[in-house]
Amino acid sequence: MSEERAPTASKESPPQERTQSLTDTKRSIALQATNLSRSFGDVTVLEDVSLSVGRGELAAVIGPNGSGKSTLMEALAGIRAPDRGTVTITSPTEATAERRAVGYLPQRPLFRRGFSTRDTLEFYARFVDDTAVDVAVTETLDRVGLSDVAGRTVGSLSGGMTRLLGLGQAILGHPSVLVLDEPGSGLDPAMVERLFSILRSLADDDTGIVVTSHNLEAVEKYADTVVLLDRGEVVLSGTSSDILASTESETLVEAFLTTVQGEERESTVRAGQSSEVNNS
Amino acid sequence: MNVREALSVVRSVVNDLFVVATRELRTVIRTPALVALAGVYLVSILAVAWAGTGGSGGFIPLTLDLLTFTEVLIPLLALAFGYRSILDDRLTGELDMLRTFDVSRIAYIGGVYLGRAIVLVGLVVVSLFAAGLLVPVLTADQPTFFAQNQAADSGIRFVRFVVFAAGFALVTLAVALAVSAVTRTLRTAFALATTLAAAFVVGIDTTLIAGLASGVLPSESVPLLLAASPNSAFRGLVLAEAVGAIGGAAVNAGSTPLNVVGLLGWWVLALAVAMWRVWPTVVLETTVSADAHET
Repeated sequence: MSEERAPTASKESPPQERTQSLTDTKRSIALQATNLSRSFGDVTVLEDVSLSVGRGELAAVIGPNGSGKSTLMEALAGIRAPDRGTVTITSPTEATAERRAVGYLPQRPLFRRGFSTRDTLEFYARFVDDTAVDVAVTETLDRVGLSDVAGRTVGSLSGGMTRLLGLGQAILGHPSVLVLDEPGSGLDPAMVERLFSILRSLADDDTGIVVTSHNLEAVEKYADTVVLLDRGEVVLSGTSSDILASTESETLVEAFLTTVQGEERESTVRAGQSSEVNNS
Repeated sequence: MNVREALSVVRSVVNDLFVVATRELRTVIRTPALVALAGVYLVSILAVAWAGTGGSGGFIPLTLDLLTFTEVLIPLLALAFGYRSILDDRLTGELDMLRTFDVSRIAYIGGVYLGRAIVLVGLVVVSLFAAGLLVPVLTADQPTFFAQNQAADSGIRFVRFVVFAAGFALVTLAVALAVSAVTRTLRTAFALATTLAAAFVVGIDTTLIAGLASGVLPSESVPLLLAASPNSAFRGLVLAEAVGAIGGAAVNAGSTPLNVVGLLGWWVLALAVAMWRVWPTVVLETTVSADAHET
């Protein structure tokens, strides 16, 4: 089974060695997560997940539904405490650290109706620097391409525009790290393309970005590094080309399917063996 | 932490609190259902003052007429104003987004509370004062028959009633915020808010009466038991301090200090629960890069 998919990150290696070296060695680390574990009752959602993201790096976390991506994103953003493990954000300057360490976009965010796009960003901008709200909001609206709809109420925005507004909220204060949970879900291909190109330009400006996505074409095109999460564990990681080479796949979709299906078969075999042992 | 740093933290918390409060204020004003509810409340209070015996009888009769209505309507209004306040932010993801701006729980809960309280208390005070203004209008041509009534009846007593109503609104709004903070779905929030409203308006008093009648609760404990219910404590304060005597007989409405403590207890407890449950403490280590170059 494992021979078929030829994973690069072995689940057998100890946690320290499993730390995913997503960062180019020349890049400063912006986010370091070490041995994150989280369970809900009897269900283990994250199991010793370690990863690091460098400044200027766009890292994509992919995986099937229920693989623990959202819980990982929440832990990385400081929203949810892991049972074990640590997350460290390294800011380039003292001022950045004090202003805002992490920008976060949850899955399918919504904003208060009745407020305009500009009002909404102004609200968040006041928490960063009350003296430069107008400048920050205008700059952010330009960056995410919402200047033309600044005066429109949030309720009248399309799903894609609402997501861009969420991204605008996340980048206010120029945080060192952006953690974005499926920003492209439910959006048309053109909007996904637009969103990822904005993320690419933000990464090029030295922001470390971790994004989850099911749009593997966009991930292959824009992400520097990819982490495949399955059943709460990192099963593959590296650059897209590394992953394609190691899984002998043509596309990331193929690599994803090969790996996840291999994991499922392996899990079924393990369950079967366990059942046989119990029966005997 | 030195004094300067402490002051900076306090300034930041106060700033964040007012930012949140401003948004809440604007949200309430822009929510048609809440505006409609406020309108219904205002009209109801004025209608009671106009149609009842109170408006034409003086301030104390008016207070007695309005007491039952405010006891019922203020908790309903407060719960309507507050039960979704925090929950909506949680369900839309805004609560999580706010947390990445390093907003403290005190600033967030305080801001939500302040913003909504300004509208609620404003509404309660304005409607009751508007009702109070009817008294001189409706009694202008009527002779006062009872010297005792003329001496006791005064606008000052009515102001006391308005102040107690405002305090009662603040307490019930705090309870509404606690409901909003502890629940995770609109259905459970609505169910809990409705149950609490029913408990406040009839449930606790009915239980006390049943307990006293059956002898389970000793009669000496009445002042304490009355103070334990927000509605009874509010009623007790109004009867003791704003009405004073009915038909020449002093009103036995529990202990004023105990009633004040009871209301304060509910207020503190509710806000503490809201602050405790709004989000968990998560430690995210932040460092500054070793090769940092401050610009």
